[in-house]
Amino acid sequence: MTSVKAALRRRLAAFLSDPIEGAPEGAVAVAPATLAAAGEVLKTASEHSLPVLVWGGGTHQGMGGRVDPAIVLSTARLDAIVDWQPEDMTVVVEAGVRIADLEERLAERGQTAVLPETPGDATVGGVIAAGISGFRRLRYGPTRDRMLEVDLITGDGRAIRGGGRVVKNVTGYDLPRLAAGSFGSLGLIGRVCLKLWPLPEAQRTVTLAQPQPDYGYRPLAVIEERHQVRVYLAGTSAEIEARTAELGGSHEEGWSWPEPLEGSIGLSLRLAPRLLADILEQMPSSWSYQALPGVGEVRVGVRDFDPETMSALRRWAENRDGALVLTDAPASVYSTFDAWGAVPAGMELQRRVVARFDPDRIVNPGRLPGGL
Amino acid sequence: MRVVTFVRELQDLLGEERVLADPLRRHVYGKDGGIRRGDVAVVTLPATVGEVAEIVRIAGRHAIPVVPRGAGTGLAGGAVPTSPSLVVSLTRLTEIEVDVESRTAWVGAGVLNLDLSKHTAAFGLHFAPDPSSQAACTIGGNVANNSGGPHCLAEGSTVNHVLAVELVTATGEVLVLGTDAPDPIGLDLRGIVVGSEGTLGIVTRALVKLTPNPPAARTLLAAFERVEDAAATVSGIIAEGIVPAALEMMDQPMTIAVERFVGAGFPTDAAAVLLAEVTGHPAAVAAEAELVRAVAESNGATRIRVAADQAERDLLWKGRKAAFGAVAQLAPDYYLHDTVVPRTKLVDVLAQVYDIADRYDLAIMNVFHAGDGNLHPLMAFDASEEGVLDRVHAAADEVARVCVAAGGSLSGEHGIGLEKRDLMPLVFSEADLDAQARLVEAFDPDRMFNPDKVLPTGSRCFDMGRPVPEGIWI
Repeated sequence: MTSVKAALRRRLAAFLSDPIEGAPEGAVAVAPATLAAAGEVLKTASEHSLPVLVWGGGTHQGMGGRVDPAIVLSTARLDAIVDWQPEDMTVVVEAGVRIADLEERLAERGQTAVLPETPGDATVGGVIAAGISGFRRLRYGPTRDRMLEVDLITGDGRAIRGGGRVVKNVTGYDLPRLAAGSFGSLGLIGRVCLKLWPLPEAQRTVTLAQPQPDYGYRPLAVIEERHQVRVYLAGTSAEIEARTAELGGSHEEGWSWPEPLEGSIGLSLRLAPRLLADILEQMPSSWSYQALPGVGEVRVGVRDFDPETMSALRRWAENRDGALVLTDAPASVYSTFDAWGAVPAGMELQRRVVARFDPDRIVNPGRLPGGL
Repeated sequence: MRVVTFVRELQDLLGEERVLADPLRRHVYGKDGGIRRGDVAVVTLPATVGEVAEIVRIAGRHAIPVVPRGAGTGLAGGAVPTSPSLVVSLTRLTEIEVDVESRTAWVGAGVLNLDLSKHTAAFGLHFAPDPSSQAACTIGGNVANNSGGPHCLAEGSTVNHVLAVELVTATGEVLVLGTDAPDPIGLDLRGIVVGSEGTLGIVTRALVKLTPNPPAARTLLAAFERVEDAAATVSGIIAEGIVPAALEMMDQPMTIAVERFVGAGFPTDAAAVLLAEVTGHPAAVAAEAELVRAVAESNGATRIRVAADQAERDLLWKGRKAAFGAVAQLAPDYYLHDTVVPRTKLVDVLAQVYDIADRYDLAIMNVFHAGDGNLHPLMAFDASEEGVLDRVHAAADEVARVCVAAGGSLSGEHGIGLEKRDLMPLVFSEADLDAQARLVEAFDPDRMFNPDKVLPTGSRCFDMGRPVPEGIWI
């Protein structure tokens, strides 16, 4: 076993990295600095059918089936903001760019990629691979709506590109969108071009005591928590004053985003927006949550593993075309509680698609539903 | 003989009146809104998803290509069969089921775009994509082409508004991809089906997102002496940090044509006209309209007209959306192009477009979704004039090359179809095209759905032009 690992280390000597914090320890850690180098790693892995776990900031590694990798491929060195065109409102970045760093740069010219607001160490590639969106999706749509171009290194090491660096494009099949939420099943997401939005002139957070049937015409974001509701406003000062008066409650200037929920287990409940109130009523009082009306997601923090309640809620959601997804949990949970639940329709089709990008199924194998 | 059996099977399924095989109808269905004509074996008019699935199975047994079709308003040849094909017209799938609380609707592929928004108006909701053909085009066609429209600047194209599709696959299976819950688990196949131009299967229904109607809107028309000033106004507005609901531009030849046709009071002496619309909260709209006006003035606008009421707004929009109809007065035929460039390259590219038209001695006029960098150069001509079609095609080809060279793309909203298929290598490498071909293969291994569209022949590396047995590559 060790000699195999030693041989692999020799083979990948040019790309080796220091141990990656939080990553499985038995694997060989690499951090290629270019897409071509990443291609070399994946080609090697593919030739020997060695499973590869892609690692960005580690923030969303709790999602999906568990991977027992021979190689951990860190995107830490794929960290360039390659091309930012503020006047065209597009930016091209490598996968390993930290979201916090990117948004800070973009804010200098009053722009945003509308990526998650409290990203921690999350990277652009990681958030795209996991299909994660920020709270502002209520107004601007999910992250996948801003995917303009993608450079993928397929599981068998091919470098391919889809989409283009323009904000409106129907040239060819929409690979950039397919990459969002793909969890590496098409290969490594190496580089992307994202559509940007301007940051508004004025920003405000209004806090209300109770959920409302209506929060006014298309607010930026709304987060309902157990004891309060926060409504996020964006626009001109005149608009924000008018909206604040309409909403009532108390307010503060700027956007005050909630931190990720506490608890040993993180869940994402996904439902048609009309079902949100129903599911909140069924939620045990010890669970904390952030419900996103109009979006249909409830992010949940569970203190102690409670398979019965979690399964019951999952069944309720799945019976209504929804899902209950694990976003984080201790390793032991995954063997008794599936990360995704029931597989979606078209799973065979998904398998056939993945087989054409990663024929040996080496990048994050088993991470998608149905063990794909 | 085989065709006879085939038609009889279809007639057994649908009855004789919904299977059209007479020469006239085969002729009519051989064309879309563009300038190419194809070869139709038979046309079917299914009314249910079950019938569509059965038609696909019958076609599969007889190895006849299947070409799905909406209203036929497409311009890229997406619905034009390249070999004798079975056309599946989806216009009879017209059910609409609205979920007001979730702001979604299941919509039959045959529902007209504008009919959907009319249907949901009572709930204060609309379907955001609004192609100029919206009174005639179908939702199924919008899904196939990932259609856009003026209001896609702020709202995004069709794909941003489709939550799920009901897809009839190559085996005749009916799959629902996506749901009304956010972020469906697994690969987002609904997103790849949108914009796939009928090559992956037949979309019979779509679950679409509905957008609240804005409580306030203001529409402004600004006239400029130079195209550059209009373009600078577009960039200036965006740089001010607002994304208007729409930012449309017309050059002088187009404005003259439109004014003659609609009589909306468009300034025909201006080199360029900019139509801007801001929508939203009443307080926002007032401030943003002022800002648009200020930016236009600082960039030398000679006149600015603000629509006083809904009737005047409608009139201005009628002028914009009637642009293509207006051209019919000038010449019997037209070729409408669709390319995209980075917004900042609009002026440069436009100068080159005029130059190309000059060299080919073609009348050209331009209308753009300027905010998106989406150009629509339009060449008006008389097809009976000898050699003119060759000149039109050659000029169109050059325009596409100029746009790609400026960092742009082949199509923003009309699709690739047949029209731009062979230009795909301008923007994609062999490996890129091969990857797209593999993707198609995963859905449709025998290429029964709308073959020969989107990807040039030979895209699949080692493709000898024969169907490849499933699984040989893995």
